[in-house]
Amino acid sequence: MKIELDVREKVYRRNKGWLESFHLDGWLLGGILLLMLASSMIVYSASSGDAEVLHRHLARDGFAFLLMLLFAQIPPNLMRVYTPWLFLIGTIMLASVLLFGEIGKGARRWLDLGFFRFQPSELMKLVLPLTIAWLFAHDTLPPPNRKMLVGIIIVLFTAGLIIVEPDLGTSILIAMSGLFVIFFAGLSWRLILSAIGVVAASLPIVWHFYMYDYQKQRVMTFLNPESDPLGSGYHIIQSKIAIGSGGLEGKGFMGSTQAHLDFLPESTTDFIFSVLAEEFGLVGVTSLLILYTLIIGRGLYIASQAQDNFARLAASSLVMTLFVYVFVNIGMVSGLLPVVGLPLPLISYGGSSLVTLMISFGILMSIHTHKKLLTS
Amino acid sequence: MQPRRNNYQSENEVNQQKLLFRGRLYFALGFVIVFFLVLFGRMVYLQWLNYDHYHAMSEGNRISVEALPPVRGKIYDRNNVLLADNQPVFALKFSKDKIDNIDATINLLKKLLPDIPDGKLEKFYNRLKVASKYRPIYLPYSLSESEASIFAANSYQFSGVTLTGKLKRIYPFGPVAVHAIGYVGKINPSELKTLNEAEYQGTDVIGKTGVERTYESVLHGKPGLQQVETNARGKVIRKLETEPATPGKDIQLTIDIRLQKFIEEYLGNKKAAVVVIEPKTGEILAYVSSPGYDPNLFVDGISSKNYSALLHNPYRPLINRVINGQYPPGSTIKPFVALSAIENGVISPHTKISDPGYFDFKNHRYRDWKRGGHGLVDMNKAITESCDTYFYELSLKMGIQMIHDDLYPFGFGHTTGIDLHGESSGILPSKEWKRETKNKPWFKGETIIAAVGQGYFLATPIQLAKAVAIMANRGKIITPHLLKGKDIEPQPQIPIEKISNWEKVIKGMMNVMNSYHGTAYRYARGLPFTMAGKTGTAQVFSLGGEDYDEENIKKTLRDHSLFIGFAPVKKPKIAISVIIENSSVKAAPVAVDIARYYLTQLHKDES
Repeated sequence: MKIELDVREKVYRRNKGWLESFHLDGWLLGGILLLMLASSMIVYSASSGDAEVLHRHLARDGFAFLLMLLFAQIPPNLMRVYTPWLFLIGTIMLASVLLFGEIGKGARRWLDLGFFRFQPSELMKLVLPLTIAWLFAHDTLPPPNRKMLVGIIIVLFTAGLIIVEPDLGTSILIAMSGLFVIFFAGLSWRLILSAIGVVAASLPIVWHFYMYDYQKQRVMTFLNPESDPLGSGYHIIQSKIAIGSGGLEGKGFMGSTQAHLDFLPESTTDFIFSVLAEEFGLVGVTSLLILYTLIIGRGLYIASQAQDNFARLAASSLVMTLFVYVFVNIGMVSGLLPVVGLPLPLISYGGSSLVTLMISFGILMSIHTHKKLLTS
Repeated sequence: MQPRRNNYQSENEVNQQKLLFRGRLYFALGFVIVFFLVLFGRMVYLQWLNYDHYHAMSEGNRISVEALPPVRGKIYDRNNVLLADNQPVFALKFSKDKIDNIDATINLLKKLLPDIPDGKLEKFYNRLKVASKYRPIYLPYSLSESEASIFAANSYQFSGVTLTGKLKRIYPFGPVAVHAIGYVGKINPSELKTLNEAEYQGTDVIGKTGVERTYESVLHGKPGLQQVETNARGKVIRKLETEPATPGKDIQLTIDIRLQKFIEEYLGNKKAAVVVIEPKTGEILAYVSSPGYDPNLFVDGISSKNYSALLHNPYRPLINRVINGQYPPGSTIKPFVALSAIENGVISPHTKISDPGYFDFKNHRYRDWKRGGHGLVDMNKAITESCDTYFYELSLKMGIQMIHDDLYPFGFGHTTGIDLHGESSGILPSKEWKRETKNKPWFKGETIIAAVGQGYFLATPIQLAKAVAIMANRGKIITPHLLKGKDIEPQPQIPIEKISNWEKVIKGMMNVMNSYHGTAYRYARGLPFTMAGKTGTAQVFSLGGEDYDEENIKKTLRDHSLFIGFAPVKKPKIAISVIIENSSVKAAPVAVDIARYYLTQLHKDES
């Protein structure tokens, strides 16, 4: 035991910088701070130089950053223990949104708790992958197929609660975060491919019976935005103009005419990427993509170094969720994907999604810095 | 809680699990990179390969909707002679949102086209400064062909200014019938507020006066729309969809431009007003307010020099004398007063009174125009010789109320309803009228002078023409109008019980022309048709009992000369009213010559 302790102390001393003593990961932290810096500049520009918007944005960044610090201190084991309870709470809240939720833009998504309002679906973005990871925590990967089935049922159940709000975009994204866990747990390729086949085959049925008109409209305008240049296709066309007119080097900081002349909708939130692309051009866009790739790569590395199934499945799935958000947002504003209301992680001006994202970074850092010395 | 150690897991299993998870991680990383490369490819496509396209679009290469102005309806006279036409001209269209620098643009234009009159560009500059960004406006100047080619060669220097073809209103007869036809001019801000802006997209003129104003809604038409793709400089690259404009409707006037021209040439530059009406229909054959002016000056916006010259011309050509000139009708109303008197039995047509040349009432002597008087006078003679004393005496027996009530249906004291804007109503005095407007009681002396068309009595030339046309119709009321085929509400007949009374009064009017003592006898000798009429004199200046000496009175204070009449007497074809201000010539011969010209030259088949 004595020897073991010595070794442990040695390792401890060698690895522990001041960042690690606060359970932070330098690579992730650096990436996050760079993105937040870029975000502040672009939000300022997209709001046509509105200092008040910038102040509010910085305040939200600060608050979310504190949450990240907080969650980084919570050991993964503790999280695992609380996960099923959080899932229960999340499910209850989703159900109560349906019953008592506030209606905004024709959908019940918000829950008013008296002192603040929030979207339970945001909570579920974190809790669902953790729940599936918890489910497989004690199995040898890959878990047995019936357990996979249980996982899939939980995912579909949760997504179903959100789909009836109705919020198709969020429910798909949340379902994906859960399915990522099942993928990383080792669902066989044969099953994955046949599942994709089933989904593809069921799309027409979903289209006919389960989609609202505005959802169908979005898909239709995505397929042919020029069909209605002044109507719903307008956002996509104007966004593409903004991106394309940025060229290689961009129009320069504060140079986005598309945003400043009000051609670009939602320029500080969902369409902020277009402003970035217009002002900083292909150079800026490429830098952003590289930065995201580095952050995601680091996240996957953290997952690979994790010591138990819960940690590695949670970490890998949270990272891939981040990737999906980035890809869907950029794909949407550049006309590759239909318009779903989705912010660009860490860049868009916005509240609850930033909080969720920073908490997931906190969890990643916690996973990486709460490691035990293992002999095996 | 500690994670349970999988003690029962074999080393092999653990390794397999690690291998599996690593494999999935690598796959995920590959997945991420591939999809980010897709995004990168998309960005290269948008920002590099299609940069020019999107750059141009962001610089304003987008679809815009332009209005196609309608072609304004033409105006014809009753014989289909064109009175108002549209002429294609070159014009400069300014789209403010595409102009980089207004000052530089205007200065450059000034250098390039020095022939644009002074002040026009300065005025336009001020207009452009405050103009709406989205409504293109035209420089109110028609470019000559050489100017157009100069501009076209230099058009690259003008962003937001385009050379376009435009239709400009043109009045081929110039000043002839200007007060009836009117003119179009630039839409002013107050008009802009009241009109439907969508209807006037692309149009910058509107009917200002005359029938151009009255029938604006008919003549204007409806604009069409054209979708065009423009480049960053506002130049149309290609036309997309077109919804053609609905042209305005042509209209035909009742005017006979030959007669109109004859009268205007006859009058020359005299201050006068002449109205010729077809009594049966109320159609206005000639509408003369003299002198006239050239309406073509107004179409592109009149220069302040020209406008000031018109405004300060002592002959006041801008005044529409026919509907706005209010003159004392003088003796021309005597036939109407006489008709009222015999119809009401106040006097028998054969009753004779003695005229010493004056009429005394309450210490005031009312003089007859003829010194020494007309001797014994009956109604016929009173009209023929225009005996004032007869009517002085008669008026007191009638009272002002009867005169008012019986003259009102002939159109005195209220507007005739002619299809022109801003008609004056004249004044047909009564006790009530005086109480309302002057808050004073009526004096009997005022009845005496009202009966000879003086005092408060005022009438416009169009009112006199209407009244005499009704007389010619033997009571059928008409509404004078300028639009051929205008729907007119049927008017009642003047309620005269003894039809023969019409002929008694008309006989008096015939004698004016035909009897040796008639006041117009010397002008009407040898006419190949019958004519009835009545002369009149409108006092401009009261002499207060002094003798009137024509030679010693300032020209502008001389009495106006009036005449009303119709011909032929049995089946009247025309009714005429003539007013010559300050009696530069007598009105009666003018009317006779008009009637002669119309009935012998223009209308000879039917006369």
